Amino acid sequence: MPETKVLTAGIGEANLRDLAIYRERGGYEQWRRAVAEMTPAQIQDVTMKSGLRGRGGAGFPTGRKWSFLPKNDRPRYMVCNCDEAEPGTFKDHMLLEETPHQVLEGILIGTYAIGSHHAFVYIRGEFRKGYEIFMQAVADARAAGFIGENIFGTDYCVDVTVHRGAGAYICGEETALINSIEGRRGEPRLKPPFPAIKGLYNEPTVVNNVETLATLPHILKNGPEWFTAVGTEKSPGYKIVSVSGHVKKPGNYEVPLGTPISELLAIAGGPRDGRTIVAVQPGGGSSACLFQEHLDLGYDFDTMAANGTMLGSGAVVFFDDTTNFVEAALALVQFYAHESCGQCTPCREGGHWLEVTLQRILDGGGMHSDIDMLVSVSHQMTGLNLCPLGDSIEPFLASVVKRFEAQFRAYVRTPERVAVPA
Amino acid sequence: MSARVDVKLVNLTIDGNPVRVPEGTLLVEAAKAVTTDIPVYCYHPKLGPAGLCRICLVDIEKAPKLQIACNTTVTEGMVVHTYGEKVDAGRKAVMEFLLLNHPLDCPICDKGGECDLQDYSMAYGASASRLADPKSSKPKAIDLGPTIVLDDERCIVCQRCSRFDEIITNERSLVVKDRGQRDVIATASGEPYRSNFSGNVTELCPVGALTSKTYRFKSRPWDNARTHTTCTQCSVGCALNVDERYGAITRTMSDEDDAVSDGWLCDRGRYNIAFYGDARRITTPMLRTPTGEFVQIGWDDAIERWAKHLRDAVASDGADSIAAIGGGRLLNEEILVLAQTMRALGVTHLDWRAGRQRQASPGAYGGTYVDLETADLVVAIGRPPSQTAPVLDLRIRKAVRNGARYVTVGSHPSDSFVVSSHLARVSDLAAHVESATRVAFVWDGIDAAVGAQAAELAESLAARGTHVSTFVASEQSNARGAEALGMSPQNGSADSDGIFAAARAGKLRVLSLLGVNPMLHHPLGASAIRDAIERTDFVVCTELFLTETAKLAHLVLPARAAFEKSGHVYDLAGDVLAVNAGHTAPEGTLADADMLVALAAELDVTIAAPDSLHAQASAAIVATATAFGDPKFARASDATSETIGSKGDARNGVRIAIAANIFSGGGSVYFDERLAALRPSPTATFARETAATLGVHAGDLVDLVAGERTLVGLVAIITDTAPSGVVTVIDGLPDAPANEFADGETVALANVRSAERALTAGAV
Amino acid sequence: MQSVIGGVVALAKGFATTLQFAFQKKPTVSYPNVKIQHAPRFHGLHELRRYDDGKERCIGCELCSIACPANAITVIGAENTPEDRRSPGERFAARYEIDELRCIFCGLCEEACPTDAIVLTPRFEMADYRRSSFIYSKDRLLVPQDAGKGTAPDERPNGIPSDLGSVIEQKSTVDIMAGYGATHRGEILKTERKGLAG
Repeated sequence: MPETKVLTAGIGEANLRDLAIYRERGGYEQWRRAVAEMTPAQIQDVTMKSGLRGRGGAGFPTGRKWSFLPKNDRPRYMVCNCDEAEPGTFKDHMLLEETPHQVLEGILIGTYAIGSHHAFVYIRGEFRKGYEIFMQAVADARAAGFIGENIFGTDYCVDVTVHRGAGAYICGEETALINSIEGRRGEPRLKPPFPAIKGLYNEPTVVNNVETLATLPHILKNGPEWFTAVGTEKSPGYKIVSVSGHVKKPGNYEVPLGTPISELLAIAGGPRDGRTIVAVQPGGGSSACLFQEHLDLGYDFDTMAANGTMLGSGAVVFFDDTTNFVEAALALVQFYAHESCGQCTPCREGGHWLEVTLQRILDGGGMHSDIDMLVSVSHQMTGLNLCPLGDSIEPFLASVVKRFEAQFRAYVRTPERVAVPA
Repeated sequence: MSARVDVKLVNLTIDGNPVRVPEGTLLVEAAKAVTTDIPVYCYHPKLGPAGLCRICLVDIEKAPKLQIACNTTVTEGMVVHTYGEKVDAGRKAVMEFLLLNHPLDCPICDKGGECDLQDYSMAYGASASRLADPKSSKPKAIDLGPTIVLDDERCIVCQRCSRFDEIITNERSLVVKDRGQRDVIATASGEPYRSNFSGNVTELCPVGALTSKTYRFKSRPWDNARTHTTCTQCSVGCALNVDERYGAITRTMSDEDDAVSDGWLCDRGRYNIAFYGDARRITTPMLRTPTGEFVQIGWDDAIERWAKHLRDAVASDGADSIAAIGGGRLLNEEILVLAQTMRALGVTHLDWRAGRQRQASPGAYGGTYVDLETADLVVAIGRPPSQTAPVLDLRIRKAVRNGARYVTVGSHPSDSFVVSSHLARVSDLAAHVESATRVAFVWDGIDAAVGAQAAELAESLAARGTHVSTFVASEQSNARGAEALGMSPQNGSADSDGIFAAARAGKLRVLSLLGVNPMLHHPLGASAIRDAIERTDFVVCTELFLTETAKLAHLVLPARAAFEKSGHVYDLAGDVLAVNAGHTAPEGTLADADMLVALAAELDVTIAAPDSLHAQASAAIVATATAFGDPKFARASDATSETIGSKGDARNGVRIAIAANIFSGGGSVYFDERLAALRPSPTATFARETAATLGVHAGDLVDLVAGERTLVGLVAIITDTAPSGVVTVIDGLPDAPANEFADGETVALANVRSAERALTAGAV
Repeated sequence: MQSVIGGVVALAKGFATTLQFAFQKKPTVSYPNVKIQHAPRFHGLHELRRYDDGKERCIGCELCSIACPANAITVIGAENTPEDRRSPGERFAARYEIDELRCIFCGLCEEACPTDAIVLTPRFEMADYRRSSFIYSKDRLLVPQDAGKGTAPDERPNGIPSDLGSVIEQKSTVDIMAGYGATHRGEILKTERKGLAG
């Protein structure tokens, strides 16, 4: 299946940041339709039928997520999570900068669909340019009457607040993001209560990814059947995949879910000349590696899960035979150790421990027992934390240590250490 | 707050034991029912779950992985295992992470011996560390504020301290700064951590990261001999443990006490202990010679002289020439002996009032601390309890956290760190009480007229079915006991104002002052009190130190302080609380009760048997309940505050508000060397616009003048919370006694020296 | 008759034993001119050691005091200040007292000490005329600043410390090491001693 441009349509061809150009291409028409012709329940129904799954990482069906909101008249909030920081992911970044109105339209539709009147957009601190572009888009949309009171002559009013983060990876976790918007320390909250019950400002809140929301206008326009017609049964629709690593043409490619990984590789120009791909991380830094023998697997949520990894946010990183996996592991572990908020003991201490151990192995001071310890410590960290960050080190580290153990052992110069019993 | 609904019970199995607990109970609490010890660091019953330390893992059948007991609510049919291979492995894993970078400081750590980390590492930890690299090194002995030292290496980031500061005190100054491995407890502003409740964080800290400066390296936990007693620093009556080593108090710790203190202590109660061993304590009776010097005399001699003067006075001028003031700082038993001895002589001029407070009992609507906590409207009238009864103020903050509104009436801001509104008069309360269903009034007991208005309001609220509870936060810890147990004027006998007036008129022959310091606290002012004492033939003073008043007395008797004697006190809610001696009193001192019993024996007066005193005292509180804000307690001289003219420049005249401070006073705090950093310096606090009008800047030195009376050298503070047109000064500071001034009178500002000029003047 | 013969035999046996010892070398020595070698781990007077840089090893942790079965040790800790740094960490012993009359010289203090600060030296001559002078405080326990850092038991060579006065060593008639052979610990001590000697 070749690349199919839906969300990415027009990027590079037209200046989609311009409201007029975006409208010429049918922009905000679905927003008008939603408010003027549909009820929130209808939109929820369409979303449910489309089987749209969250594009942020967990892949939770969006329609079901919305259905968890309590049926009461308390204020509720839509939060758009644009704190894209997963290593290897750069799709939301592009959507925000290139098609801000498409994102905004999706946010507005989502906000209307859950019966909210206030959307918050949380933009990662480093996305300064994207932030400025999006702020302009919000201003233009407000001037055009798409945000504000009595939208399209109805009595529906909506407001959008854009909040710029400060670049903490953990603020991509929905409750940490909510804390951050509230002005608190960006660290995940204890769950339960879940955001759908008690989220932003203690009110029911839905947090959706940029790509998820940006897909909404297209589903509304083409109908849920159009969406379910592509992809697999449980992973319908299109997905922007951020391909990076040892490929000739890294970038964002929009493909139907279920496309084989080998085809993704081909779209991205294939491996560098004379090199072979030995590993691929299919879902960003937090996912376990797949290897040569897995390249023919279809790229969808369930196939990935069935093979012990995950689709995550759709960041595919290819590693060819030149890769030093010890260095790669250290780079990732450093990232997670640095980004740990420090709340939970296993994540705070374990990440740091792995970091210094890997660094020592690379510096030539490693022992054979260290390599077994890498696996055992990263495993020991997993499943004990409040949020998934602490669980994110094990998949990659364990999978590469298992597969490329020789690379790790090659660094060890000291004789076997007497193992301290665990 | 609404009517109690039937609690639904849930059945579950914990380690094979069937347990029935109310719905919504946390597993960690439910497990206590079967006395299973689930280890916790970040969880605390008063702070709730945080889910950070991950040590409380339990195995719940059908759950895919180990769950934390602190944030799991019980469900019907749940089967829980709190031990076993799987659980132990999980806890061991967490323990390894906790200990990974924790220093091996235990031998010098103040917590060593009572440390949760030590205990649980014995229970779950591995014997050796797998860490091959050096432990991460972090700063030690960080000065967090005047009371607390932080050891960052030891911190396990359970956030109990910062959550205490957020949830319980609402002061929100302690936060976790930085992230990941580099995180550190600090104040958000970077300023020193100052709080009236700072000591609690050292007790909450499950490791030795936060330690008290006053206790640092003083002893190891096993050295301390512990006595459970009641704090008598204020009228709240918090449960307290006194730790003593080699005859010196090393520290005080709070105790679980849901009925009174809620498990907390204020810093005054916790840290004001060094005075017990201060070298300036009086340890022998001292008699003033005709030349004015004190000579040491024996106890027998002292009691004989006291008795002789009393006997002679009765014989020559009748019992009306004798008066006694005291009781507010004494134990119930002591008050009874005092009152009985004096009344046996026919003395009627007995009063406990030695300061501004007029009334101590809350009347017919006297409430419990739980009433306060569950109120939906809390009204503080006069001095707010934040400085007079700090732990009571935590109840108010708890009430506000539970949704109550807090209103202060008078010229003082609430100082409570919670949302509160401020009213000038009781009559302004009408709109606020309208929708309230449970109203709590906290009065300072000072202005009887205001108290009467509040009583009237309380009465009308109660009449229409509103739940009303009333509280009086007293200046003296056992004022309520003193008022109930006979140390208040009866049948027209003189109160302390009358007693001092009679003394100034030369009508008094013997005046006994027991544990009071009217020179510093009595609103008649120091000059009037000095005059009164000088015109009395024989003034006996029982004291710990040579206070302003004791210096003037003819006979000074060395008394014992609260932790040196046993008995009972009333708290402000009327509970009778036991006080137990936990400190070896200095040789030569006697408890007031012992002096009085000796005096009674010397006078041949029969008093009740010591065994019966406690029972008598406990019965009395019921019998003598008076109305809240009884007008009969109004000061005869109250009207004079209006008439006291000001000779100062009318242009810069302001009303003076005399505020309490928990670290003011001329006795235990003044003679406590270790509290120097916490004692307030004399200040004058202005609202921003008032200061601007008067041309005062922050840091200026100012004098306040009213007629002949002056307060010199106050440092100006400018805040947003002070009411406008008012200058607030602190009561009870020996360096600047404010008792020459009536609360609310107009004073003039004089001699404003700018901060720089003040500095140069100081240098000269 | 029989009893008479029995008595004579017994007497003869007794006198024979006495005679046998009369011609043996005497085990008594003319103390204090002559001092007998004592066991390598002899537990005598305490000593508080220093580090190489002269700082006190004792951190005032009181573990010796809590370990002491005779309750003979009193420690009161205090905090080091930058101006007056006594020990490497934050805490040092402001007061360190051992009542040598109470002390049973069991060595548990030495074992409890986390910094090897308190050790029992082979010195045993502590006789004095006043009971109060048996309370040794830091001035007598701490190795003087100019007298080295003190010797850990493991580093201590066997023998009488030279500072005990003029010592004339005389080979004892009793092999002091013989008694140790019966225990496992004795074996270890013997080997260690050999190692040290070598």
